[in-house]
Amino acid sequence: MDLSVLDRLKWLQQQQMVSPEFLQILGSDGREELKRVESYLGNNNDELQSFRHFPEFGPDYDATDGCISRTSSFQMEPVKNNGHNRAIALHNKRKPEGKTEKREKKKIKAEDETESSMKGKTNMSNTETSSEIQKPDYIHVRARRGEATDRHSLAERARREKISKKMKCLQDIVPGCNKVTGKAGMLDEIINYVQSLQQQVEFLSMKLSVINPELECHIDDLSAKQFQAYFTGLPEADSKQSIMADFRSFPLHQQGSIDYSVMNGTKDQTSSSWETHSQCLYNSLRTDSVSNFFSLK
Amino acid sequence: MERQIINKRKRVFSLQPNKNPNALFARRYVSHLVPALKKINMNKSSLKTNHQSFEKTVKHEVDMAFALSAQEFAWSRFLQQKLLSSPHDDLISTSSSPSEILERSSKKQVGEKYQDRDEEEGGEIKKRLKELQKLLPGGEEMNMEEILSEIGSYIVCLELQMIVLKSIVQDNTS
Repeated sequence: MDLSVLDRLKWLQQQQMVSPEFLQILGSDGREELKRVESYLGNNNDELQSFRHFPEFGPDYDATDGCISRTSSFQMEPVKNNGHNRAIALHNKRKPEGKTEKREKKKIKAEDETESSMKGKTNMSNTETSSEIQKPDYIHVRARRGEATDRHSLAERARREKISKKMKCLQDIVPGCNKVTGKAGMLDEIINYVQSLQQQVEFLSMKLSVINPELECHIDDLSAKQFQAYFTGLPEADSKQSIMADFRSFPLHQQGSIDYSVMNGTKDQTSSSWETHSQCLYNSLRTDSVSNFFSLK
Repeated sequence: MERQIINKRKRVFSLQPNKNPNALFARRYVSHLVPALKKINMNKSSLKTNHQSFEKTVKHEVDMAFALSAQEFAWSRFLQQKLLSSPHDDLISTSSSPSEILERSSKKQVGEKYQDRDEEEGGEIKKRLKELQKLLPGGEEMNMEEILSEIGSYIVCLELQMIVLKSIVQDNTS
C-alpha cells in the first residue's frame, strides 16, 4: 500500500505538533517549511507531485546544477522500496539523526513520487511556489521518467507549464473556450472575444454621447447604489440570482436587439454566439477568477 | 413599480466594501466616469462642438475612467499613458476585423491536415499572439507569459465596464 505524498505530508504535519525533535532535523527553517507545506495542502490538493523546496544544508548541495541533476538522477534508480521500508524510513525521522536522515527521506520521497508519476500524473514546476514563498534561490523542476534532464529543457518545461496553466485560467474566463482545444484555437477565441468586448464598449460610449445631455443629477447616486447591490460580497449563488432578478426587470431584450443590429453588420458567422455570450455576461459574474486576477500584482 | 420594489429590496451595502473586486472596480469606474460626463455636459453648452468630437471626448473619458479604475494592472498604466499623450486620436482601435480572423482560422484548419502539426502550430500561435498584442494596451512591450496574465484581467474589467455602461445607458433611456 503506497502512502501518497499528501498523506505523508499530513503525517509530517502531525509530527510537527507532536515531536519538536523533528524540527531539529529540519533545522531552524523547519517550522517555516512545514508552514509552506501546510499552505500547499490547503490550496493545491491536485498538485501533489510538486517538488517542495527544501532548504539546503551542508556541502552536498552547492550549485543549482548540482541540485537539479541530483533530483533528476533519482529517476533512473529502480524503485526498490516496498511499504515496509518506507514505514521504517518514516519512523526514522523521529530520531534526530541530522542531515543524512533528511537526505534519505528526500530520496525516498523522490522515489515515491517517481512511482506515482509513472502512473501518469503530471508534475508541476516549482517556479510558481518559489515566487509564492519568495525564496527564489533555485528553481526545482521534477523531471518525468525518460525525459531530458539538462538545464535548458527543464527550464523550457517549466515555462511551458506556466503558460498552459495560464491558458487554463483564461479558458474559465472566456466563454466558449471549452469546446476548442489547443493553444491556437483558444487564442482565436480570446482574440474574438476581446474584439467584441471592445466594440461593444465603443458602441455604448457612442450611445452615451447621444443621451448625455439628458443626464440628471440623481442618476449617479442611483447607479452607484445599484452597483453596490449587484456586486456586494454575497456568496456567488445568491449574487447571481439577485443579478438575474434585477436584470429581468430591465427591458433587456429590447436593448440586446438594438446593440446587435450594429454588430451583425460586421460579423456574419458568429452573431448568434456573441448574443448568447453577452447574455451570459449578465447572468454570471465569475467572482472566483476575478478575485484571482485582482489579488495578483 | 416592480423595479422600485426590487431596487428597495436589493439595496444592500457591504460592510467591507473593498473586499469584492467587482464592486471595487464598478464603484471606482462610476466615480470616475459620471463626474467627467457631467463636466463634458457643462462644457458642451459653452463650446460649440460638432457631434463627432463630442463623441471622441466621451470615448476618451470612458477609456480614462476604465484605466483609472484598474490601477493594479500593467495594461491600465499603458492605457493611461496612451490617453494622456494623445487625447484626440482613435484610442482603442482593432487592428483586424473579426471576419479576417475567421478566414485565417478556416485556412489553418485545412492546412493542418497536410502539414506537420508542430511546425504549423508554432507559427499560428505566434500570429495570434501578435494579434493579441495589438489588442491589449501595452501588449507590444510584453512577452508571451505577461500577455497571458494581463489579458485575463483585461477581459474581466472590460466585461464589468460593459455592465456599468449598459446600466447607465438604460437608466437614462428608460
